[in-house]
Amino acid sequence: MADELRFDGKVALITGAGNGLGRAHALLLASRGAKVVVNDLGGTHTGAGRGSAAADKVVDEIRAAGGEAVANYDSVEDGDKIVKTALDAFGRIDIVINNAGILRDVSYAKMSAEDWDLVYRVHVLGAHRVTAAAWPHLRDQKYGRVIFTASAAGIYGNFGQANYAMAKLGLVGLANTLAIEGRKNNVLVNTIAPIAGSRMTETVLPAELLAALKPELVSPLVALLCHEGSQETGGLFEVGGGFFSKLRWERSEGTTFRLGRKVSLEDLSARWAQVTDFGKSTHPDNITASMGPIMGNVEAGPTRGANQFIDVDAALGFALPEMIHRYTERDVSLYALGVGAGRDPLDANELALVYEMNGAGFRPLPTMIAAITVQQVIKLAMEGKQAPGLNYGLDRVLHGEQYTELLRPLPPAAKLTHKGTIKAIYDKGKGAVVVTEVRSYEEDGELLAINELSTFVRGAGGFGGERGPSNEITPPDRAPDAVIEEKTSEDQALLYRLSGDVNPLHADPGFAQNFGFARPILHGLCTFGFAARHVIKAFADNNPDRFKSIRARFVEPVVPGETLVTEMWRVEAGQIVFRSRVKERDKVVLASAAVSLYDVVPTKAPKARPAAAATAPSSAPSSASVFSAIGQYLAKNPEVGAKVGVVYLFKLSDPASAFTLDLKRNVVEPGETAKPGCTLELSDSDFLAMVGGRANPMKLFTSGKLKISGDVMASQKLDFLQKIDKAALASATAAPAAAPSQTGPDSASVFSAIGQYLAKNPEVGAKVGVVYLFKLSDPSSAFTLDLKRNVVEPGETAKPGCTLELSDADFLAMVGGKANPMKLFTSGKLKISGDVMASQKLDFLQKIDKAALASATAAPAAPTAPKASPTAHEAKAPARVAQIKARLLGDPQLGEAFAAGVVFQITDPAMTFSLVGRELSEGKAPGAAAVLTLRDESFDALLGGRQSAKELYQHGLLRVDGDVRLAHKLASLV
Amino acid sequence: MGRKVNVIGVGMVKFAKPGASEEYNVMASKAAQAALADAGVPFEAVEQAYAGYVFGDSTCGQRAIYEVGLTGIPVFNVNNNCSTGSTALMLAKQAIEGGIAECVIAVGFEQMEKGALAAKWDDRTNPLDQHVGVMSAQQGVNSAPFAAQMFGGAGREHRWRWGTKKETFAKVSVKARQHANRNPFALFPDVLSLDEVLASPEVFDPLTRYQCCPPTCGAAAAVLCSDDFARKHNIANPVYIAGQAMTTDFRSSFADSMISMVGFDMARAAAEKVYQQAGLGPRDVQVIELHDCFTANEVLTYEALGLCAEGEAEKLIEAGDNTYGGRWVTNPSGGLLSKGHPLGATGLAQCTELVWQLRGQAERRQVEGARAALQHNLGLGGACVVTLYRRD
Repeated sequence: MADELRFDGKVALITGAGNGLGRAHALLLASRGAKVVVNDLGGTHTGAGRGSAAADKVVDEIRAAGGEAVANYDSVEDGDKIVKTALDAFGRIDIVINNAGILRDVSYAKMSAEDWDLVYRVHVLGAHRVTAAAWPHLRDQKYGRVIFTASAAGIYGNFGQANYAMAKLGLVGLANTLAIEGRKNNVLVNTIAPIAGSRMTETVLPAELLAALKPELVSPLVALLCHEGSQETGGLFEVGGGFFSKLRWERSEGTTFRLGRKVSLEDLSARWAQVTDFGKSTHPDNITASMGPIMGNVEAGPTRGANQFIDVDAALGFALPEMIHRYTERDVSLYALGVGAGRDPLDANELALVYEMNGAGFRPLPTMIAAITVQQVIKLAMEGKQAPGLNYGLDRVLHGEQYTELLRPLPPAAKLTHKGTIKAIYDKGKGAVVVTEVRSYEEDGELLAINELSTFVRGAGGFGGERGPSNEITPPDRAPDAVIEEKTSEDQALLYRLSGDVNPLHADPGFAQNFGFARPILHGLCTFGFAARHVIKAFADNNPDRFKSIRARFVEPVVPGETLVTEMWRVEAGQIVFRSRVKERDKVVLASAAVSLYDVVPTKAPKARPAAAATAPSSAPSSASVFSAIGQYLAKNPEVGAKVGVVYLFKLSDPASAFTLDLKRNVVEPGETAKPGCTLELSDSDFLAMVGGRANPMKLFTSGKLKISGDVMASQKLDFLQKIDKAALASATAAPAAAPSQTGPDSASVFSAIGQYLAKNPEVGAKVGVVYLFKLSDPSSAFTLDLKRNVVEPGETAKPGCTLELSDADFLAMVGGKANPMKLFTSGKLKISGDVMASQKLDFLQKIDKAALASATAAPAAPTAPKASPTAHEAKAPARVAQIKARLLGDPQLGEAFAAGVVFQITDPAMTFSLVGRELSEGKAPGAAAVLTLRDESFDALLGGRQSAKELYQHGLLRVDGDVRLAHKLASLV
Repeated sequence: MGRKVNVIGVGMVKFAKPGASEEYNVMASKAAQAALADAGVPFEAVEQAYAGYVFGDSTCGQRAIYEVGLTGIPVFNVNNNCSTGSTALMLAKQAIEGGIAECVIAVGFEQMEKGALAAKWDDRTNPLDQHVGVMSAQQGVNSAPFAAQMFGGAGREHRWRWGTKKETFAKVSVKARQHANRNPFALFPDVLSLDEVLASPEVFDPLTRYQCCPPTCGAAAAVLCSDDFARKHNIANPVYIAGQAMTTDFRSSFADSMISMVGFDMARAAAEKVYQQAGLGPRDVQVIELHDCFTANEVLTYEALGLCAEGEAEKLIEAGDNTYGGRWVTNPSGGLLSKGHPLGATGLAQCTELVWQLRGQAERRQVEGARAALQHNLGLGGACVVTLYRRD
């Protein structure tokens, strides 16, 4: 069988191989060509006694079957002796299978010190001693496979096995770390948690189950993990009775409290469901991933304040759902009547406010926009559409202040889109103030008005936030320049409520009494409308179109029928400070109040609305916020990711950014991933169009705007992106965008500036004296910063003292002082190899003259840096060349197919060899009929039979120069 | 079978690089006027006009024809990707053939943008999505221009199937430039060596830059008439269309072959129909203008048109049977590779060259003894028009 997985030439050491699992492992490996050291102390399963019979019997069995084996009878605690047996007998050691074990089952209450120590010594100390003795050999030969044997008892616990469980899970930790330390030397370490019928389980399990759990059903996994073709490392596998599976950690999304706030038991208790909810789980598989949420919290910075009512971090900046509202001339007239206009139907100025067919023009009152937007926000709140982090009911809320600004006169009828955000949250001690800003846009997208609704939230203060401005406006200390006195009608509130605010407090006597009012009170915004009308009458020639803005604090309610006195002071041109009182009770009802007037009525003509242009917010979501929304969507809809199961890498341009959408782990992360299944490159705006459903991925692709590499078909599974809640996307607008500056210096010029700096400051280099190699990615480049010779050179150096790998953007951030090397390192964005301590001497980079850096941008870029050679990975070609050799030996006819000569030019890592007839040689054979160029991984896939030559060729992964037909024959080498 | 259709006048403007040409209406009207002058008939005699172009808003055809005359005749705007020109020609021919008109004009023009072809409309189904689907299944997709990936991929497949050498594709470019060197209408008249072609930057293996036709602007036109019309206007022994067929994609286009996907099967079926109509075979024609948008397609087309068996194109090229002194001269004009490829104009420019050849007016590039000529014009999407011209 050509595909048989063999262990020829490999030496395997198996502890506890005299019986059960160890014996099965030994027989299997020996049958596949491995030379085996059969270790067994020959004692009982409880660790008593010793003898040579058990090991000898297995050795005899192997030899009888034609295999090679030697016996060893040492205790695993003498691991070095066992390893020495392998070296003495076979000259090397490749595979270590730590299998020996004993049981001292007893309930924890009755467990003796000996029970504990003995189990520890055999399982943990023994496995360690054997592995430690073999380790230097495995590392030096850059090849090794190590297996530890754990148990379900360790993973899940088992009654009566406290000592054994402790030991078994200890081995998992040992294996995980050895996997990390061994990886770069091709020493792969895995752990199995087997269940099999053996001496150790025959006392525990029923006989029929024991019969099913044959050791031979565990050994194939062990052998596969030990095969040279395996790349698996750091894995934990459950195996037995025909079942094979891999285990991993699962972690709930948990909850994060922003730093800087106290976390009380009650706070944690309130979030206990989040701590324990696996609905949105992740599977961290390394320390960096484990630290992710913590680093994220550190990066998010200290909290801006939180208590049980208000979480500023969650609420601030939140965009409320868009509100669309239409009003007609009838609504305008009704509002005007509600705030007292039209009392004298023969007064042309009054009529203009309430009569849409008025010959001299119909002039909507500007404060109507305040009534509309406040009503819209209340409506949202009643529907439960509150910003996150605002956890209080309407019963705590008072309308404290209102600011209203119009960029143009209010149209007599309009369909407006209102966009609200939580603009500010202030801590006033006992209470809190939440400012909601609402921007109102006309149908053509032009901003028409801005309202700020300040609500006072009783009892919600004290969360440690900013106190905020006072907004105090004091009238001048002189008699008012104008005073208008006007009695409200008894039915004022009943009339005003028809404009939308139907709170029973303003109509139902019983309801009002329950709130401590003798009778229903007038709406604050009705009083506000009265006062605005008074200012317009006194200072704007009765022309509401000149009204620019108004601010007022609601101090005291008015009872319908009371007389309002508005006192007004013109403090400068177009600026009127006012105060409104109730005459009957002499109480101030509106204070800290002012109106601004336009000198000239603004119109929509472009030159007349610079303010609008300047203040209009960008309403488009940024890619970063869209990705964050996608992340939230995935968290809520894990089945979507499960169905797709692909890791996408998005590389966006204009501005450049990268995001990984991992639908295997259902997470979205900024930055690139090492092994995306499918990479999509497109512009930021096309990405947004695609997600917004305005552009189809297939069409972007065929029009060349979207480049796809990797699994192209996977790109067709992206349809779900268009299903993501529009509201979530809209809310994403509020999140800060991560748009890297486009104007910053590039790395090449920064390195050139560093070079100039070093030339001028030779003492810096002398002090550090290290050769640094920077390998940058996105785009990739490499630079050598040689502080021994005080020079900077593009490209790599042969012997760097310290190698730093990070993204181009992070490098620039680091040099610019915007990112801390240590933080980059701990968050996994910066990899340091070689002399790690030397990386701490890089502080001087931040001292480099900013001016020099700035001028670096202007200076012509240094010669294009050679692309950094891809991160070195273990070449698979040599093993495959060995395979070809073996095939040629095994089948002498085979060479004839290649008589014309084929050169294999392998790249990444590079290796060139030639096959002419049966002769394999290094380098390019002169006169070869074909040169095949392919990557190491493609070569491995080809010779491993995983991809056909035709497939690789047609995909452009196998390049053939010369006679293509020679490539047809590659299949015969597989 | 309908009436005999004569090609009595042809004309074209010299093609130009994007940005360096006149506007489409100017180029098109100049080509039309040249064709009318060549025919010796006034525009007033023309009863219908067929205007072909790919890129432009609606009714560009009228805008161009209006510069020739405002006689109120029907003007049909035709759009069929790279085979637009010969599609206009085919409609014009059908009008004469079916007795609907006595004299018509077909004009093709294109004012192209710089850069490789790409879809213009990204808010709707791309008409080539099925073709792209085949490609991505067969070979994946990368960032090279999509047409180069498609035809280059077909070239790869040809290499794999038949062991065709890369040099064989490159030789087509060398030949195209040698021909273009003799054509005053060619955009790239400088000869290239095989090494130069091979050493030019790779666009998509096995295609290098010099093996891809460039975006071009230009216009060409042909005047067609019935025998009656020719007699009345004292036009003796005109070139006539002995056979013409258009095919579109078959089911096989969307199977598992890049060669089939880029139009091989369409070309073969169209050629078979034409040979049947004309009663002539490939060996009876002397000169051929065929759709060499990429060198790979010229190689494939030799086989599709039946000049040789499948897999034998390399031998044909090595034997020199595609140039002067060989059995055929393919693309004496320099082809799309060297003359340029303004999508809407190409089909009519091919017609122009072949009419000149059959009349013996091709000067330095005249193919001796040219009595029958074959034209192959291919558009992805797809449509393939094959036409056989004769002169008695």
